[in-house]
Amino acid sequence: MNRRLALWTALAGTLLVARAARAQGTAEVTIGYQGLPYKSSGESNTGIQVSEGVLLHVGAGAEAGYDTNVFYQNVDPIGSALIRTSVFGDLSNATRTGAAGRISFDARAGVVYRRYQSDNPFVQNFNNAWMPTAGLALSAGGGQFGFGIADTFARLEDPPYNEAQLVPITRYNNQASAEGRWAPGGGRITATLRYTNMIDIFQGTYSYASTDGNYLMLDGAWKWLPKTAVFVNAQQGYIFYLNEAQATANGKESSYPLLVTAGLRGLLTEKTSATVALGYTNGFYGGGVSTGGFWGSTYLDLSATLRPTFLSRIVAGYRHDFQNAVIASFSYNETFYASYVQQIAGRLALDLSGRYSHRNYQGQFVDPVQMVTGREDNFVQVGASLDYFVRNWVYAGVGYSLLNNNSNIPSVEYLKQQMFVRLGLTY
Amino acid sequence: MVNAKVLLTTTFVASTVFAQGPAPAPIAPPSSGGPGAPADVSVKQRPTLTPEEMVNQSREYAKNMASTLARIQVLQDQAKREKDIIRLNCVTDKVVQVRVNISIAEQSMAALQEAVTRADEGERTHEFTRLTIVNQKVQVLGAEAENCIGEDLSFVGATKVDIEIDPNIPQYDPTQPPAPGIDIERPGEASPLAG
Repeated sequence: MNRRLALWTALAGTLLVARAARAQGTAEVTIGYQGLPYKSSGESNTGIQVSEGVLLHVGAGAEAGYDTNVFYQNVDPIGSALIRTSVFGDLSNATRTGAAGRISFDARAGVVYRRYQSDNPFVQNFNNAWMPTAGLALSAGGGQFGFGIADTFARLEDPPYNEAQLVPITRYNNQASAEGRWAPGGGRITATLRYTNMIDIFQGTYSYASTDGNYLMLDGAWKWLPKTAVFVNAQQGYIFYLNEAQATANGKESSYPLLVTAGLRGLLTEKTSATVALGYTNGFYGGGVSTGGFWGSTYLDLSATLRPTFLSRIVAGYRHDFQNAVIASFSYNETFYASYVQQIAGRLALDLSGRYSHRNYQGQFVDPVQMVTGREDNFVQVGASLDYFVRNWVYAGVGYSLLNNNSNIPSVEYLKQQMFVRLGLTY
Repeated sequence: MVNAKVLLTTTFVASTVFAQGPAPAPIAPPSSGGPGAPADVSVKQRPTLTPEEMVNQSREYAKNMASTLARIQVLQDQAKREKDIIRLNCVTDKVVQVRVNISIAEQSMAALQEAVTRADEGERTHEFTRLTIVNQKVQVLGAEAENCIGEDLSFVGATKVDIEIDPNIPQYDPTQPPAPGIDIERPGEASPLAG
C-alpha cells in the first residue's frame, strides 16, 4: 500500500484543475483534485509482463458527479451533472522491482472523455469533450554521462467563461526536452544541460495567446551529502507568439525570460527533504513593460516534504515568481500550497491538497478597462479524495474539487465545486 | 559437499588398500639359535611366493601404478581447466612424486627379472619387497591427489557487500533539477466581454 503514496496523475482529467509543484524532482506533488485512474511510480505487484524487460500498466476509471458552475460565473451559475471516464496504458522497460537498467524508456497514452448531462441549452453546447494525452521518455547512461529525451502532449477542453460563446476553451500543449548529464568522479558534482521546447496552442477566444517557448537550462550541483546538494541554476528562455497579428492586437510581446538561482535541494533528515532556491529573474519583454524592482526581480522557492510514517506524506511550500499570462503580459505570483497524503489501515487512501495564489497582473492587458484598474486575483484551489482499495488494482471512492477566484474585477470572480463518486482500475 | 568428498576419499583409499592382494610374507628375522651358531638363512627367509608369482604380482603392481598416474593426470587436467591454481599445485606435486616412484619400480622390476633368471632368491625377494613398498606409496599418493582441495573450500568467493538503507530515505535522487513543468492551467477570464 505504501506504493500508492507517490501518486502521479496520468491523464488530463485533472489537468485543468491540477498544477504540479515542481519542487521535488521525480516525487512531484500534484495540487488539486486527483483524477482517475492513477498509479504509483513505485508499483511493484501489478503490470503485465509483455516480454522480457517490457512491462505494461493499464488502467481505466469512471467518475460521476455534479459541477456547480459549468461556466465559472459569479452570478447565477449553471450547474450540471457530470461523468468522466478515462483509460490509459503505460509501457516501460521497468521491472516489477523497479529497476530499469542503464537504458530506460517509458511510453504512455490515455484519453479522458467528459460529458455534461444537462437540459440547459448552453451546457448542451459543450456536452462532450475528448482529451487525449501521450508521453514518451528515453534515458541512457547513468554513470559519468547520461542522456535523455522526453515529450509530453495534452489536449484540454473546457467550457468558456461566457455561456453565450459557442466555442470551448481548447488548449494543445506539447513539451519536448533533451538533456545531457555529466557527473565526473564519484558523482558528487553533477551538471545538467537541458533544452525544452513548449508549444502552447489555444483555440477559441484565446487563440492570440498561442506561443512557442524555448528554454535552455544549465544546472550545476554539488552533493555534500549523498542525497543533499547545493546548486546553481541558470535558465534562459525565448517565448514568441505564433499568431503575430492577433498577438500584437492584444498587446502580446515576445519575451526572453531569464532565471538564475542558487540554493539547496535534497534531504535534511531521512524523513524530511527541502528545496530552497533564491535568485534573480527578469522577463525582458519586448514591449517595454517588463518585470522589475527588487521584489519583482526576485525568485524565491521554498518547499518542505515530511514523511512522518511510511504511510503518510506532508508537503508545504511557497513560491514567488512571475509568469507569462494570457490575459496580460505577465503576473507576479505569490503561491502557497500544501498537500497531505495518508494511508489508513492499508486500504484507504486519503489525499488532501490546496493552493492559494495571489496574482498581480502587469503589462499590456487584453481588456482595456483593466489597463486602468489593474487586476489582482486571489485564486484558491482545493482537492480531496478518499479511495477504498478492494484489491491493489481496484478502488472506489469519493472526490471533491473547489476552485475559487476573488478579484478586484468582480465580474471575473467565481466559485466552482465538483463532487464525484468514482471507481478505478489500475494494473 | 565436504561429507561427500570424505566418503569418496575413504572409499577410494580403502579400495586401493584392499586391492593390494595378500601382503607378501614378512621376511623372517634372523634366528637366535644361540651365541656363535650360524644363521639358517635358507629356511627362515624363504618367501611364500614362487618366482613366477612374484613376476606376475610385480606386473600387477606396475599396472596399478600406471592407472594411478593416469588418474592423477586427469585430476591435473581438470584443475587446469578450472583454473584452480591451488588444486593444480597440489596435484602436480603428486604427479611428480608418482613418476619418481614408478621410475624406481621400473628399475626394481628389471632387477627382479634378472634375479629370477639368476635364481638369486635373496635379490629377488629384496626387489619384490621394494616393488611392494613403492606400489603402496604410489597408491597413497593417488589417494592424496584425490584429496587435493582447491578453491571450492579455500576460496571464500567474491567479496559481497550488503548495504542496508533506511527505508525512510526516498529511492529517487532529490538533488536532481526538477523536470520541466507543464503549464496546464485554465487561463483566467480575460474580460467579461470575451469568452
